[in-house]
Amino acid sequence: MAHDDRDTALNQAGIQALDILVVEDDLRTREIIRAGLTDNGHRVRLAESGSQALHVAAESEFDVAILDRMLPDINGLEVLGELRRRGTRTPILLLSALGSVNDRVSGLDSGADDYLVKPFAMVELLARVGALHRRPPLGAVPTRIMIRDIEVDMLGRQVWRRGQALPLHPREFDLLVLLARNAGRPVTRKMFLEQVWRIHYDPTTNVVESHISRLRSKLRQGFDDDPIETIQNVGYRMRTCA
Amino acid sequence: MPRLFASAAYRLAFTYTAACTLAILLLGSGVYLAAGTAIHQQQDDDLRLEMNVLTKEYEEGGRPDLIDKIHQRELSPNNDFRYALFASKQRLYGNLDVARPAAGFSSVTFPQPNKSSDDARGLLMGLPDGSAMLVAIDTEDLGRLDKTILILFSIGFVLILALGIVGSLALGRNLKLRLDRITKTAQAIADGDLTRRIERSGSADEFDQVDASLNAMLDRITSLLENLRQISSDVAHDLRTPLTRLRGEIEAGLSGPAEPDAMRGALLRALEQNDSILSLFAAILSIAEIESGKTVGSFRAIDLSQLVGTVCDMYAPALEDSGRPFSFSLIPDAVVQGDPELVMQAMSNLLDNALAHTPEGTRIHVTLARDQGGFSIHVADNGPGIEEADRERVVRRFVTLDRARSRGGHGLGLNLVSATMMVHGGKLDLGDNRPGLVVSLTFPDFSPCSSIRDKLPAQMPSTKCERKVLPLM
Repeated sequence: MAHDDRDTALNQAGIQALDILVVEDDLRTREIIRAGLTDNGHRVRLAESGSQALHVAAESEFDVAILDRMLPDINGLEVLGELRRRGTRTPILLLSALGSVNDRVSGLDSGADDYLVKPFAMVELLARVGALHRRPPLGAVPTRIMIRDIEVDMLGRQVWRRGQALPLHPREFDLLVLLARNAGRPVTRKMFLEQVWRIHYDPTTNVVESHISRLRSKLRQGFDDDPIETIQNVGYRMRTCA
Repeated sequence: MPRLFASAAYRLAFTYTAACTLAILLLGSGVYLAAGTAIHQQQDDDLRLEMNVLTKEYEEGGRPDLIDKIHQRELSPNNDFRYALFASKQRLYGNLDVARPAAGFSSVTFPQPNKSSDDARGLLMGLPDGSAMLVAIDTEDLGRLDKTILILFSIGFVLILALGIVGSLALGRNLKLRLDRITKTAQAIADGDLTRRIERSGSADEFDQVDASLNAMLDRITSLLENLRQISSDVAHDLRTPLTRLRGEIEAGLSGPAEPDAMRGALLRALEQNDSILSLFAAILSIAEIESGKTVGSFRAIDLSQLVGTVCDMYAPALEDSGRPFSFSLIPDAVVQGDPELVMQAMSNLLDNALAHTPEGTRIHVTLARDQGGFSIHVADNGPGIEEADRERVVRRFVTLDRARSRGGHGLGLNLVSATMMVHGGKLDLGDNRPGLVVSLTFPDFSPCSSIRDKLPAQMPSTKCERKVLPLM
């Protein structure tokens, strides 16, 4: 019952409660992740080893799985491989202390949908989990997104607000698409850097902020409301309702 | 001797000598046998020729002429032949005192005045009147010749064998000495003296080449170890400061008033310190990863025009928003071999620096230009610049020019750029922009199959000659 009340409250805020499998061998880390996810309304099942993860995954369905790369028995990459062999299409986020390019590539090659290097900020994990769940399956990417009064044409790379075409710079367009696909949920600075510029380092200059501020002013030109919301210390979110 | 044979060098030398000696023995025996046969053949031919002369005499003038001829030839001083003319069994004429042998070639023994007897080779031929003519030649000379050849050959053989053994010992010793130099150096290094190197002979032979490559390998290992040692000590040293601050913040939070706001403030500051430590850590690890040369394996053809364009495009709004006019000029088709993300990060670090270390209003300009033998990226500003004396120092790890590190930098940015350029076979230069600073990154040209490989560092694996440029985004 408590869940239902919460779900309604969260759904009103545009956040969907998800069933999440968390596989992590360190007790403290596991508890911190669990607390972070449940505080945000998600339902969490825990597993502390690779074999336990495979067992749990076999008996229940999950919306998203968070998998540690280094596990005591079967390592994370093997668990990932086994899940994919079984035909599991659940989006999987790989957590790892290994951050080099090669490590990331091997993780994504093994079938992970996202890769987050430890240590990470909880808001980062929450944002990634939300984005993963909403990611459309391959082949079903919409060519047109409509958020409130903003229409995005992915193929023609054009944007209209209330029928009025907006002259966006190509990079601003990419930022807007990422925001629109995750409408209602926060998109972190790291996600922008990874998905718009394909970089995995962290520039000290506020490159994301400056681009967003330009996008924002173009979207606001002639309108009195701002469709993009800043979330302090996290990133940005596209509002789904006025 | 068993100790000598325990050494591969000596064993090799001795085996070689033994094989040579055996070959000489076989060759000598062959020559000896062939020479013997040839000499016997020659003797038989001589006998046949002499017989021809005599039978011709007989045909022309009968037995009396023949006897005259024999007499004449027996008296001639240069004649080695001996003769006998037989009626049927009885010797009629001639100085060869033997019984009549069978027709054709045969061995005959005849008495000698001062010796008991002598061996000779004879040729008997029947004449039409029932008599028979015997011509013989002494084989004693031949035997002497045989013996001389044999003695000469034996002396030669023993000499060669002796020389061979001496040579083997010298060769074995030489090989062993040269290998011992390598063994001794390896042993010294195993015992902890990393500065030891194999003494080169300077002869440019195979051994010298092995010595050279082993030394190069040792240099590389030493520099990697030195690098690792340097990093560990840097980390130990430079993590102490932020860790102390982190500890201080936590302690201050715990000992301060137990109000939520104060606690929250302390926690936020602690989190900030923690993140700063983590970013320092990440920077150190990526420099170590670049310097180890591991990233070289994933190098591919990249278009600097596109890449520099992307970074400039990424930074333009932020630089302009900060009140620093920004512009850039690029040339097309600047293809080099490298890791796109590393080059982007290097560029980012330079632009981050340009923003952090110049006052508002400073102009920043990026140029991509063709340079002799490659391409250069110049990041120039008209800000305060860097004193010439500091330009080399500032590239080193953990060196920042503003003492207080008020800008939050770890002093690793330029070091990462430098490591990136090194691994790309290029270089980083800091120069005077009169006024201001100009930082130049120079990349070697990547034309397919050009002499690029000579310019790249040694650890660079051979790259395929592809001119395929993967799109960045």
